[in-house]
Order: sequence, then structure tokens, then C-alpha cells
Amino acid sequence: MKQKSVVSRRTFLKGAAATVATVSFGGTFFDFIFSGLSPAVAAENSTVELFRNACPRNCYDTCAILSTVQDGVLKKVVGDPASTYTRGTLCAKGFSYTRSVYSPDRIKYPMRQIGRGSGNWQRISWDEAYTEIAQNMLRLKREYGSTLPICLNKYSGNFDIMHYGIEGMLTSIGNTTRATGTPCWPAGIDAQTFDFGTIVCNDPEDIVNSKYLIIWGANPAWCSVHSMYFVKEAQQRGCKVVVIDPILTQTASKADLYIQIKSSTDGALALGMARYILDHNLYDGEWLAKNSKGAEEFFSYLKNNITLEWAAEKTGIPQHIIEMLAREYATTKPANIWIGYGMQRHTNGGQNVRAIDALAAITGNIGKSGGGAQYAQLETWGFKYHAMSQSKPANSGGKEDRAININNFGAEVLNAQDPPIKMLWIACRGPMTQDPETAVVKKAFEGMDLVVTADLYMTPTVEMSDIVLPVTTAFETPGVNVSYWHYWLSLNEQAIKPMYESKNDVTIAMELSAKLNELEQGSCTFPTSGDLQEWVGKEFSEGIYKQFGIQDWQELKKGPVKAKSGLIAWQDGKFRTPSGKYELWSAEAEKYGHFPLPVYVEEMQSTDKYPLRCITPHWKLSIHSQFQNLDWMAAVNNEPHIEIHPKVAAKYHIKDNDSVKMFNDIGYITLPAKITETVSPDVVAVYETWYKNKKFNVNYTVKAIPADMGKKATGAPGIAFHDNFVAIQKM
Amino acid sequence: MQKQLGFLVDLGKCVGCRGCEVACSNKHQLDHLQYRRIMNINKENQVLGFLSLACNHCINPECIRVCKEKCFYKRRDGVVLYNSQRCNGCQRCIGACPFQAPKVNPRTKKISKCDFCFEQLDQGLEPTCVASCIVGALQVIDIMQPIPVYAQEALPNFSITQFTKPSIRVILPRAPQCFWRKG
Ligand code: SF4
Ligand code: SF4
Ligand code: SF4
Repeated sequence: MKQKSVVSRRTFLKGAAATVATVSFGGTFFDFIFSGLSPAVAAENSTVELFRNACPRNCYDTCAILSTVQDGVLKKVVGDPASTYTRGTLCAKGFSYTRSVYSPDRIKYPMRQIGRGSGNWQRISWDEAYTEIAQNMLRLKREYGSTLPICLNKYSGNFDIMHYGIEGMLTSIGNTTRATGTPCWPAGIDAQTFDFGTIVCNDPEDIVNSKYLIIWGANPAWCSVHSMYFVKEAQQRGCKVVVIDPILTQTASKADLYIQIKSSTDGALALGMARYILDHNLYDGEWLAKNSKGAEEFFSYLKNNITLEWAAEKTGIPQHIIEMLAREYATTKPANIWIGYGMQRHTNGGQNVRAIDALAAITGNIGKSGGGAQYAQLETWGFKYHAMSQSKPANSGGKEDRAININNFGAEVLNAQDPPIKMLWIACRGPMTQDPETAVVKKAFEGMDLVVTADLYMTPTVEMSDIVLPVTTAFETPGVNVSYWHYWLSLNEQAIKPMYESKNDVTIAMELSAKLNELEQGSCTFPTSGDLQEWVGKEFSEGIYKQFGIQDWQELKKGPVKAKSGLIAWQDGKFRTPSGKYELWSAEAEKYGHFPLPVYVEEMQSTDKYPLRCITPHWKLSIHSQFQNLDWMAAVNNEPHIEIHPKVAAKYHIKDNDSVKMFNDIGYITLPAKITETVSPDVVAVYETWYKNKKFNVNYTVKAIPADMGKKATGAPGIAFHDNFVAIQKM
Repeated sequence: MQKQLGFLVDLGKCVGCRGCEVACSNKHQLDHLQYRRIMNINKENQVLGFLSLACNHCINPECIRVCKEKCFYKRRDGVVLYNSQRCNGCQRCIGACPFQAPKVNPRTKKISKCDFCFEQLDQGLEPTCVASCIVGALQVIDIMQPIPVYAQEALPNFSITQFTKPSIRVILPRAPQCFWRKG
């Protein structure tokens, strides 16, 4: 066996191939590696390295990851114990990274599809891809006098700061059309912007100091599972945990108290509670006098317009429960509220968030450890955005970029005139599964001259593209990540070489720029070369260094760091509103067409034709269209369901696993029923995600109804995803 | 026997996130089989909790009894291990194990199963699933030692077969006080 102890990596590879033959399983070398039959020969002459990575997938937790790489192969990922938020663990999605990197489903090289949606893909070289893309860009510029017919739709598939280089690439060719806004959370952002001046939350690790915690329309057990440790820890230290939700979520099942609320009436509950707090003198007059604007107006609104009977009627929650909740919340200090993104996906979502914020304000819970009205924060995002900040080439036409609403993407692409939109560039995004009104989105795609999508997998969006460009995973490229929830900063090191022919989005921008300049000198300003590592360094600003107490970004190779200050939101009492106070009365809100006070705006009602509200929350094994497509996830679960209350099921004679058609006037889906008391009787729940090879897309039925707020801070209102009314029928 | 390692599963803490399940696949690089699985504990359509279940490293392991090729053996600490060398793929162990802990590797047609991450145990480390549980719902215990009084062998509405004497103890979930919608 002497021979084996000196095998080089090369002979090991050969040896592996030989083993493949003897145990007779097909597939690639990577299938072999992942068969669980790690060959002993490899261990003897192998190098094992550790790298620091970060999970970039639009998740609250944005975990710091420690990756083990053996002989250039990513073998294992764990949470980085250096982060007191990640605490050495990942979630099921994070643990699947060793599979997603080597998934046989990855797109391996650039391809061109002959006939959009035909599945007739041909492998092409990167040069062919760049040539075709560049030629089309230049042709459109010639035909229309500007690059405005080129539209970018990029969002949250990868929140690494370097990935904003995709926006930079579009800037560097001239004025273009941009899908603008954010689908998931804008109503709440605007609400907090009116109230506080912007969004800032307490460090989530501070939850342990709460004595009362209301989790309002959020499901951290699925969507921010690391926070659940702090919730449980708080509970252990005597904090009462209350969950308010139309669905008895996994988080709710771990609470001390679960209150089922009629969907979209959260503001009525908050205002009812506020009325009780006012009537019983449980408010913090001193805090209000010092820190707020409009308390008097708010109180008189409560007195004149709000009663507890009304709140009980609206919300479906018995009056004595509202009273108990108000009393407990107002008298237990510090009391914390976590405002979820689910509860603001309504036509009155922003107003409802303002009403909840007001509860925290009138009880003086703002600016305190263990207190607060937590929504999110962008305080740790003060990078230079070097990759994003590119200049426009001279004389490329058009006056400025054109914004179209990302939340009504299909229709706005179709409606764009002078010039029309003729080319789409899609990155970090899956509009064909994630956008409302899929049929309209598809129509928009069909009208294009060219659709280019950069992606990892053959998603339904890629299926509707002409050219697909294979991109790298976080492990194959350097970057830097922060969270919109916790206060950690993590470097993302390149742990392995890019797989197959995949490239980082910034590399794609550089190489496309070279091609554009080759075809037309000066047509693109994006640098045509550069070291990605160095580019990461260029993202860091003095502000970030100061905030995180580091001198140089390379220090992050030793581990993630946490912000040194600002961990308790608004502790200094300096609000960023026009008045510098907490604004119960917001002139700014009025300017954007809302009532200046947090008032109740009527929720949308079901109709006789479409009597059920379809809620489409996040699924625990995915983040939007990511993760659930992997075979590891399919092994855990591979079937979407429609959750139906037993009473509703009885009415329609539906039993568990019966096939159910859910429909409204824009579309339908058919899927098996799951009868459960965890949903409200007027609600059905279908978890949004993308399953590989399944004809499932809940957005076939979701209309692009705007939420009430979002325009001020994010450029476009959010989507009222949960104001979708449907009918069901047993198949 | 002086020592019998096993798992203490706290259903009051487990949020069914399946982190342990996938962490195990990550550690052992299993793509088509799973050593650990989360079972839903239901009662009349109401989820009462989740039971994270792998090999229970039983006191009287059926796998050891039925395997003609003597592939299974028990360590002094009670951990039941498996050696694939002699396995002829008869799958008798799968039929015999009340928990279906042994799995067939679809490629080799041989058996593999949870090994309690014994190399980690031997270094004084926790098994991967235990270490990966964010909320601390999984623990390693020696069931020969006194275990917490609130831990028990059985779950209501879900039977854990006892004749093999599985080394698993559970802590029951606590249901929240619930106020359901009126109307
Ligand atoms: S998906 Fe979220 S919780 Fe899971 S590993 Fe990534 S950042 Fe962490
Ligand atoms: S990791 Fe912990 S909480 Fe998650 S399913 Fe496993 S035992 Fe339950
Ligand atoms: S002890 Fe190890 S092998 Fe067994 S289930 Fe846990 S992680 Fe998997």
C-alpha cells in the first residue's frame, strides 16, 4: 500500500475514476465524492483548508460560515462560532451548500436557446455569448438613440456588496431602464421612515433582555431561526412571548400565548390596545413630551374614533384578550415588538406598522435595551459601492435612467414607450416564479429581442431566456456581507475555484465591457480587468471601519466583527424625521398621500366569488426560489400543499391530500390539500417557492396590487401579496 | 452495561427546522439518504411537535440480531456501529429495525446508518446533529445515568417501539395558550 501514501491529487482523481467503474455507479466525479464513500487514499496526502464565508441569500440571519475545503473540494460548512449571532450553526438551507455547489443541476457553461421556452439549448463559448449580447446592445443603441431599451431586473438572490457591480455594469453602458423598488418589505420601511426617520432595529441578540415580546406577523422559527435561540433564551429568563398571526406558525407553537388575528387587521388591534393604554393612563407621558410630535392629536384620534368593541369586532379577537394584551404590554418593562414583513404585505400594511410603532412610542419602549419596535436596519450598509458606482459613457443618449416598478414588472415592461424595452438582463432574480401575475411577466419576456439571465440553475426564468450565463456560488468568489437584521460584518473568501465555466457577475461585467469596447471603442466604461479580491477591499469606507472598529478589511479574515455602536436603536433620542422627534403626526406621510396620523385604513375584503384569502408566506426550506430545488431538499420535502382549515375543507368535501384547484380571475393552480387548524377559517396558505420539475407557481393567482406605502424610501410601493382572494374546488 | 449513550430530544424546543437532518447529510455527504429524520407528531391535524429521530443505538439492537453477516456491533459506550465490508445487501436489518435506521445506499446497494459521529465523540466533541441544533433541542445523554425527571420514554399520540429498548428520551412540548378567531 506504499503507493497509496504518495498519491498525488492527480492519481487520486484517477483512482476515484477507477472506483467508479468497480462499484458501477454512473455520474461524475462529484457524484462519487458525494456518495459518502470518501476514499481513504485521499486522506493521506490531502490538504485541508478553512475559509470564511457568508450566506448572502436575503435572509435575516446572513450567517457567518466556516468552510472546510479538502483538496480544492468544499467538504463541510458550519456556522462560524466567532459570530455570537450565528453561534456555530447554520439552518437546513445553509447546511445544504455542500450540495448546491456540486449539484448536477448547475448551469455549467453559457448557452443559447433556439426558441425561447423551447428547451432547445446549445452550448456556446463565453466569447460567443459576449459578442451576441454586445452586438444587440449596440444595435439597440443605434436604433433607439440610447440604451434605454435595455432593462435590468436584479434583486435579492445575492446580497453580497460586490454584486451591486451588476447595476454598475448597466450604468457603464449609458442610461438604461431599471426595475426599481423592492418586493418584500417597502410598506413597513416607509411606515418606520415616517415615524422614526428611517429603519433601525435593536441588535437581535438584545432580545434576551426583553421581559415581554410580541412577535407580530413574523415566523423566525422558519425565516430567522438563529433569532429563535435568543427568543428561547429570553423566555427562559422570564420573558413572556406572544405571537400574533393569522396562522399558528412554528414560532407561535413555541410561544406562551398565541393570538389568532384576522389577516390585515393588525392596525385595529394596535389602535384598540392604544385606546386601552390611554384610558388606563398606562402611557409614558414623560417620554412622549420629550421625544414625540403629535401625541395629543393621536390621543384625540383614539378617543374619537377607536373603541375596544370595534377593535374586537374587526380583528376577531375577544375584547378581554385585547385588554389583557394591552395591560401586559404596557406594564411589563422593557417590552419588545418584532414587526414581521408578512403583516405589511397588505393594502393597509404600512398604516398597520405605523399603528404598532405608536404602541412602542406611547409606552416609552423606544431607545431601550429589551424594548423597541424591530423591523430591520440598514445602518451597517454604509459601503462605498465601488463596483456599483460607474460613470456613464459620453453621448450614449437619453437624459437619465428610467425607473419602472419592480412590483408590477410585467405590465410596466409591456407599457414602456419611447423607447420601448427590447432587452432584459436578469441577475439574482427569478421573475417567472416570484413576481405576481406570471402570465403578464411571460408576455413581457415574449416581446423582447433578447433576454439574458445569469443564474445557477435552470429556473423558469432561465427557461424564458435566450442566453444563460453560469454564475458562481458564494464559495467560488470573494465578497463581503452584512445583514438587515443583526450587526455583524463578514468577509466572504473564495474557498474553491469557480465550477465548470461559471463566472462572478463582476467578472462578467468586465469581460462584457471588453467586448463592447472592442466592437465600439468607448461604448462601455466598466473596467475591463481587475482583481476581485482588491475590489472587495475597495468597497470598504472609513465609516465602515469606524463602525466596526477595524483598521483594514483584511482583518476580517480572522473572523466576522460586530458593530461597536448603535446596537440599541434610537438610544440617543435623535430621530431622523423632519422634526427630529418621533412623529406620531407626520407631515411627510401626508405629503405622500397618507393620513398624517397612524389611523385605521380598511382592509381588503373577500367577495362572494372569491371567498378565501390566500396567504403566500415563506417556506422553511427555501428563500424565494432558492434551495427547495436541490435534491437534498427534495429528500426532505418535495410537495407543495394548500393548507385549509377543517371547517372549510368540510364545506368543500375536501380530505387530506385531495387534489384542490385554487383559482381566481387571473389564474389557477392545482395542488394537494393539507387540512389543518393552524390556518384561520377565512384563509388558505400556500408557501411560495420553486420546486424543480413541478408545475407549481402560486404567483399564477397573485395580482400586482400595490401595498399602501413604499414610495418614499424605496421608490415604489410594495406588493399586497396577502390580499389575494381565491376560490377553491375539489378536483 | 455501565454506559449507554443516547439522545435526549426536547420537543418543547424543537422548531422542526430540519437543521440537524441536513447538517448530518452535510457531515456525511449523503445525497440520496438521510440518517436523521424529523417526524411530525400530529393529533387531529394539529401539529403538536416534531421528533428528530436517527438510529437509537438500542440496548437490544435488532439489527445486530438479524444480520447474518455480523455487520453490526456495539461499542462499550453503547453506540451501535456498522461495517460494510461483509454486507451482502440482504436488507434484513432494515426490515427488523423498528426505526428504519439502516438505509440502503442506492449506489453501492450496501447499508449505512447513523454512527453517532463516533470520531467526534472520541475527541470529546458533540455529534454533528447535536452541535447544529440552534435551539438546543438535541442532547447526548447516558441513559444509564439518572436523567431529568421531566424526560420520558414515550410520547402521547406517537408510539416509540420499545422492545429493542431504544436509547432515546423525550421532553414533551408545552403548548401555548391559544386564542382562536371568533367568527
Ligand atoms: S439561509 Fe439564513 S439562516 Fe440559513 S445559513 Fe443562510 S443566512 Fe443562515
Ligand atoms: S435542528 Fe433542532 S430544532 Fe431543528 S429540527 Fe433538529 S432538533 Fe429540531
Ligand atoms: S449522530 Fe451523527 S450520524 Fe447520527 S444522526 Fe447525528 S449527525 Fe447523523
